[in-house]
Amino acid sequence: MQKVKQALLPVFVFATIDIRRLFRDKIAIFFTFLFPLIFLFIFGGIFGQDSSVSFNVALIDQADSQFSQQFTEQLKKGGVLEVDSTLRTISDAATAMERSQIDAIIVLPPSFGESQAATNYPSGEVRLQYSKNNQQAGQALSSILESHLDSLNKSVVGTQPQPFTVSIEPTGKPGLSSLDYLFPGLVGFTILGLGLFGPTSVFPRLKQRGVLRRYHTTTLQVWQFVLGNVLSNSAAALLAVAVMITVAITVPLFDVSIQGNILLLALFVVLGAVVIFGIGLSIGGWAKNENQAAPLSNLVSFPMMFLSGTFFPRFLMPEWLQNVSSFLPLTPFIDGVRMIMVEGRGLLDVMPQFGMLAVWGIIIYALAFRVFRWE
Amino acid sequence: MTSMIDVRDLTKVYNGEPVVDGVSFTVKKGEIFGILGPNGAGKTTTLEMLEGLRTIDDGSATIDGIDVASNPRRIRSLIGVQPQTPSFEEKTKLTELINFFAATYGKTVNAREFLADVQLLEKANSYPEQLSGGQRQRFSIAAALVHSPKVFFLDEPTTGLDPQARRNLWELIKEVRDRGVSVVMTTHYMDEAEILCDRIAVMDGGKIVALDTPKRLIAALLKKGFKKPQQVQQANLEDVFIDLTGKELRE
Repeated sequence: MQKVKQALLPVFVFATIDIRRLFRDKIAIFFTFLFPLIFLFIFGGIFGQDSSVSFNVALIDQADSQFSQQFTEQLKKGGVLEVDSTLRTISDAATAMERSQIDAIIVLPPSFGESQAATNYPSGEVRLQYSKNNQQAGQALSSILESHLDSLNKSVVGTQPQPFTVSIEPTGKPGLSSLDYLFPGLVGFTILGLGLFGPTSVFPRLKQRGVLRRYHTTTLQVWQFVLGNVLSNSAAALLAVAVMITVAITVPLFDVSIQGNILLLALFVVLGAVVIFGIGLSIGGWAKNENQAAPLSNLVSFPMMFLSGTFFPRFLMPEWLQNVSSFLPLTPFIDGVRMIMVEGRGLLDVMPQFGMLAVWGIIIYALAFRVFRWE
Repeated sequence: MTSMIDVRDLTKVYNGEPVVDGVSFTVKKGEIFGILGPNGAGKTTTLEMLEGLRTIDDGSATIDGIDVASNPRRIRSLIGVQPQTPSFEEKTKLTELINFFAATYGKTVNAREFLADVQLLEKANSYPEQLSGGQRQRFSIAAALVHSPKVFFLDEPTTGLDPQARRNLWELIKEVRDRGVSVVMTTHYMDEAEILCDRIAVMDGGKIVALDTPKRLIAALLKKGFKKPQQVQQANLEDVFIDLTGKELRE
């Protein structure tokens, strides 16, 4: 017992000092805690409020009748159109569209809503102008206008029910934004960054300065040094993920929620951080200088960055690529975080992911110890 | 006095070229043993083999009766090492570094005591990158002695230091010796070797070409009829410098 305690002493002393060092280093603080948040804000800004897609339009009401004003009010109520009321003429609106300030121009011509001589009900044509560069907005807007006109037609003509109808049912769990599905990928990206870019730059630098060589003249053993680093780095990674999750939950823009057990999530994050850090440790422990470490770390991290589901969901990939990428060490991590966080799964459900991470961990650390060099 | 280090026919070969070529010497307990020689003479490689950092290609070395090649870990617990350019992890307080170095030997120590020994107590909360060259050397000595080693290796400890810092370091090294530690050091400075070392080995081309006390080495040279062309002065420029600027440490 005394011996074990003595053997673990340098591990704990190193880990505590290493964590203190992290908080003394402004650049390290930035890359550990703020850098992931920047990604969160970028992706949260893009995907966070997907439920409220809106188009900026100019609405030029040339008819200016009671009918056209009612129609305008209805369009605005739909919530999809953000009408820029400062644009009152077609030429102003056209200029604004050229500058991409608005997506389209809706024109209600002077005759809009007037009754034709042959009929006793109002009719008219809504003109939609959009830029050729913005086809998607044009198509979306035209179908929005069509649906508005459709209900208008029904109320005016009062035709009997249509024989063929489509019923629309929005699906998906309530309260889950698309950021909920993307967030685990961002967690994976953070773990990848911390686990790879830290050790692959720090260890070669320490070697070149002879710091590790000095350690080697003491009775410090490789496993003690490695374990100390693993402890401090997984603690930092857990903290970074905790900061990320806290921000994602509390900032209304993101509206991310945790469905599953938070302790299970923490355990899983730590395991993932340890495994991914092992990759960085293998590279940094092997490399004599940064010139050896940098290309190797890029080579290893790029496939995971793009294929493990960090930014692009894996289900969008061709099947063969999905099969290949499922074997990358980051993939079970991101899948597991998604299952626990978003789908609320329990320990038994994520056992395959746990197992695969553990197998990777054994392989990676066996390699790390084999290739480690003090200088 | 009993011998602490025993080196027999120590050899290191790089690419077929012997860098250290059959070197033999002993270092007694509580003496300062200097290894002198021009660059590339094999001084540092010799030290590194004794420290267990380099494999021994041929010959043998024992420290306190323990074979270096077969017990590297036990050897490391017996030795303290001062590298040529001591470098430490940044943003780490001196006390934390002392605690860490002690922990690598499975020990907990009072870090402030060790810092006080090398007059760095007021720097206890500084980082190593904030120290001057002399302070860093002194700190490195403190860090190397946390586990009370029996042998202390120093590789060119005073290179790049000002005269005051050098003198201060000499005193420190003498104190270490007086505690009964065997000190093995390399240097390029002859005045340093003459003042500090009890015995000197002069290396050239991987071999020891002379081994004795500084006094006897000088006497042997004079006996051969050597004479300096100029008159011997009772003082030199360094004496003038110290007289003008004092022995007090500047940092």
